[in-house]
Amino acid sequence: MAVATPQSTSRMGFWATVWDLLTTSDHKKVGMIYLVTSFVAFGLSGLMAVAIRWQLAGPERQFLVGDAYNQVLTLHGATMLFFFIIPAGLSGFGNFILPLMLGERDVALPRINAFAAWLFVFSAVLIYTSLFFGGAPDVGWTFYYPFSRTTGLGTDFFMMGVLLVGLSSLLGAANFAATVYNLRAKGMGLWKMPIFVWAIFATSMLSLFALAGITAASLTVLLSRKLGLTLFDPAIGGDPVLFQQFFWFYSHPAVYIMLLPYLGIAAEVASTFSRKPVFGYRFMVFALVGIAVVGFLVWAHHMFTVGESLLFQLVFVFFTVLVAVPTGVKIFNLLGTLWGGQLDFKTPLLFVMGFMFNFLLGGITGVMLAVVPFDYQVQDSYFVVAHFHNVLMAGSGFLAFAGLYYWWPKITGRMYPEFWGRVHFWLFLVGYLITFMPQYVLGFLGMPRRYYTYPDGLYLWNELNFASTVGAIILALGGIAWLIAMVQSFRQNVKAPDNPWGGYTLEWATSSPPPSYNFAVQFPTVFKSERPLYDWEKEGLKPTPVDPATIHLPAPTVWPFMTAVGLLITGIGISLAPDMGNASVGGVPGWGGWLAVGLVLFIYSLFQWALRKEYDHPVVHHTVTGKSNAWVGMAWFIVSEIALFGILIAGYLYLRLTGAAVPPEDHRPALWLALLNTFFLVASSFTVHYAHHDLRTNKFSPFKLGMLISILLGVVFFLFQIWEFAIASGHYVEALNAAGQSEAARKAALWFTAFFLIVGLHGAHVLIGGTGLTLAYAQGLAGKIDNHEQGTLEGSSMYWHLVDAVWLFIVTIFYIW
Amino acid sequence: MLQRSLGLIVLLMLGLVLAAEPGQAGGHTLNILDRDASAFNREVRGLLVWVMGFAALVFVVVTGALVYVTVKFRRTGKETGEPEQMHGNDRLEVAWTVIPTVIVLIIFGLTAQSMFKLDRPTPGAMVVEVRGWQFWWDFHYKDYGVRNSNELILPVGKPVRFEITGGDGTNYDVIHSFRITSMVGARDVIPGVVTHIEVTPEKIGTYYGQCVELCGASHANMRFRVKVVPQEEFDRWIEGARAFQAATPTDPTLVRGQELYKQQCAACHAIKGVSQGAPNNPDLTFFGNRTTVGAGMWPNVPEYLEPWIKNAPGMKPGVKMPAFPNLSDEDVKAIAAYLMSHKVEGLDFSKLEKF
Repeated sequence: MAVATPQSTSRMGFWATVWDLLTTSDHKKVGMIYLVTSFVAFGLSGLMAVAIRWQLAGPERQFLVGDAYNQVLTLHGATMLFFFIIPAGLSGFGNFILPLMLGERDVALPRINAFAAWLFVFSAVLIYTSLFFGGAPDVGWTFYYPFSRTTGLGTDFFMMGVLLVGLSSLLGAANFAATVYNLRAKGMGLWKMPIFVWAIFATSMLSLFALAGITAASLTVLLSRKLGLTLFDPAIGGDPVLFQQFFWFYSHPAVYIMLLPYLGIAAEVASTFSRKPVFGYRFMVFALVGIAVVGFLVWAHHMFTVGESLLFQLVFVFFTVLVAVPTGVKIFNLLGTLWGGQLDFKTPLLFVMGFMFNFLLGGITGVMLAVVPFDYQVQDSYFVVAHFHNVLMAGSGFLAFAGLYYWWPKITGRMYPEFWGRVHFWLFLVGYLITFMPQYVLGFLGMPRRYYTYPDGLYLWNELNFASTVGAIILALGGIAWLIAMVQSFRQNVKAPDNPWGGYTLEWATSSPPPSYNFAVQFPTVFKSERPLYDWEKEGLKPTPVDPATIHLPAPTVWPFMTAVGLLITGIGISLAPDMGNASVGGVPGWGGWLAVGLVLFIYSLFQWALRKEYDHPVVHHTVTGKSNAWVGMAWFIVSEIALFGILIAGYLYLRLTGAAVPPEDHRPALWLALLNTFFLVASSFTVHYAHHDLRTNKFSPFKLGMLISILLGVVFFLFQIWEFAIASGHYVEALNAAGQSEAARKAALWFTAFFLIVGLHGAHVLIGGTGLTLAYAQGLAGKIDNHEQGTLEGSSMYWHLVDAVWLFIVTIFYIW
Repeated sequence: MLQRSLGLIVLLMLGLVLAAEPGQAGGHTLNILDRDASAFNREVRGLLVWVMGFAALVFVVVTGALVYVTVKFRRTGKETGEPEQMHGNDRLEVAWTVIPTVIVLIIFGLTAQSMFKLDRPTPGAMVVEVRGWQFWWDFHYKDYGVRNSNELILPVGKPVRFEITGGDGTNYDVIHSFRITSMVGARDVIPGVVTHIEVTPEKIGTYYGQCVELCGASHANMRFRVKVVPQEEFDRWIEGARAFQAATPTDPTLVRGQELYKQQCAACHAIKGVSQGAPNNPDLTFFGNRTTVGAGMWPNVPEYLEPWIKNAPGMKPGVKMPAFPNLSDEDVKAIAAYLMSHKVEGLDFSKLEKF
């Protein structure tokens, strides 16, 4: 829509505001969705923490016991990690601030951004929906197998929720990576971006590579529960530890996803409130990348007690101690930023100082945990609990609040009351120390974690637990101070200027809050450093005004929201479906209805979305690489797909190479059929390629015909796969039944499991890719696609080629080998 | 100032740990740094001295810098102009990359050395097979063919190799983790996999054992005891256990107890010479020697044993043993007496110090 006058949502009525939110693709509103959801999640999960501490205040209390306690601890962990600390810094502040810092109007793919935000919210809703169907998950946020196979329906909701929030994260990460790559103000090279932007970029790449781990872990647990398919079942020679390898391959890098955006915030706040540039900019960037890379090599330090070989453990000890080095560099550089400055101890800076002290402690205890014999003694004890709360709560969590107070004026247009900000900070600092320092001692005194109670009479347990609970109450009071600060900000309504703190990055070059189009200026194209406002002031350069009426923003549309709703309902249906082998769980009446309605709504909304053009006016986009945003975005997204197949195939190779999984002598899926299918799939890649070429040369009819042929070839492939699976499942069941008596049958059963899992996952990707092609085809039929606006086709054709390439791998390792 | 005093408090609390006195508050004194309990603990203490030494150094330097920065560079309002716009210092960057790298590599080296030392199997170690189930423990003295559940008796000064697994080839359970808290580190119980850990118990006493991997509703209630006794007492125990014959009861209570036991309990539980039971349920052969009931939960006295027999689920959420509401109080007393009558004579563990 053309922007004739600045948008002002404050004058809209309630329902108009709601509709605006449901149809928006504005990165600032998308960022608000994430921020509001994540800080609400923090509050909710904080109350759960108080409940946990209330139960543990004394020995053998009956407030929260057994399964109920396990449900609360699971929800507390999952909510804090997936719905507060990861999204707040990355998707919340990332979405709001990143485009502003880059001098842009939005992210690369605004409507995908909106979809990802709603999917995020709905994945939280999905997990909490379990409360209405018998209870929340109670397996810990780590849902170890085999425990996660044995529990109630809550675990199904949890697995489904993790899969959906994982998809949302991937879309968000691809979006950020494409934005940083493709959309920067003219003249802003990569090395002139603020540290916060680098942090988001590094985190996005981390996410794209790492998420495969938890996708694999949650998918395999879900399929184990629903279909009895499992790579980890010792009854057929599977390895339960393989689950942990999958899980931690993501979940360790995840803690850097929970840290890096916040280190970016710390750099910005430290620089602004000391009135100096960031100390050692290049080293700050190298350290971010170093943490991200080394962070991929340490995952098994969560598994030191599972009995892996000495050599295996040593490798992980080495990289674990090493990752302390770039992390230390970040802290030292922050100190260097503050050193010699003129420090204004406003609330954001207080939280950064608190972070530095606490993260130092947490980092030290992290290195202690790398000392394996010591780890043997404190694994799964309160020492570990104290360590991770040290880094996550008093570390990243404090920086989440630093960011909140720092950008509060920019986001809300109002100042916050400094008094309540300080009260909040001090209560949090003192409360944190009193809650968690006793827990380090409890670790030394032998108290395990995830214990809902403890007996009377163990040396100092009563006293230390009581102290810890007192600390939790203080934290709760700090939470109240925080709420008061926010409420008072709105009540006092002190209007915020454009640049209340004297910051030098581009978000401060517009009003508070910014107008919908962000900037009504053309910036100078010379960027001397990451602080453009400082440099331009020194050089006497000024932005040139631009008439807002000439600015075009994406048209509002409700279809990304509706597509997410469709996935939520589908997710409920899948969660409620019968659990094979556990007849008392699942199969809730009406599950099929949920599933059907969800799928129909999802597909319908997806097509409506595709048929809704992004802009009402034709728009020319300038991109840094020259490639479209859709192309760059899908290229980054494909990294995650390669990682997903990579990790599952690695698991399969491990089982094959150790002789645990062996294809059956006879009755293995036919090679001739696989080769025939290969022909169909490869041919369809060619037809897609030529159809795309036809579109680019404006030959619309050949384009449509080419798409139709490609889709039909995909359909033929898929039908043959279904037939093949039907036959193979019969042989699989035979092997399962004989597994108790025959070693060959057992190995064949495990092989079939891997086959169905990976080839089945590929089949799901054929379905997804085919749907993508159909979307582009539908656009062709409706005349909604041309040489200039062909994002759906660019993305889906690239995806389709990936699906084909993966198939070639699969033929080799499953049909030929 | 605040930061320094808080640091002192932390050190003080750690001091409390190191000064742990045994037997306070009537219960166990758990202390993973107990230097007298095992060489393992001493090895960890040695490593921690180094790590804490480096930690103290880093802590003092960084905290000192933080305090200095807070005090020296506070904005006073009387500044004229901006501070020096320092962009960085390459030499400093190298220094604070190289020095921490050296420190962590030293820690790595010391850790690796310890790991090699602790990983070496001790020849002639007594092998004890450990199985973890929801929510109890099974021990099997491999060299002697003796099985006992939830309580393990070991001779002081002799190396033990624990071979730990989950499941028994037919029945599988979830992952647990076996930890004799004050004596040696933990090792996971994984269905279908055998893990191991070795230790030589050096101090006589009864040690508190716990499960340290979330395993269900009663993860907190899955405890055990390891009784470290003088060699001759262990010899008496193990010879008595191997030679154990369940006596035919003559006392009317015990007769009644045996009758009820065979009706109600024998399907699940094993008593040598009386019932086979099933391997994935606790063995009650030496129940009379046990000092705890319910998997290390309560003292083995009628006050706890009788309610346990009658209604285990009421005491321990999620326990697999069902309740027996149809048993009268006399029935329960008879069963309890019958169970307590099964033991190796001449052993008394009540005076052992609790670690």
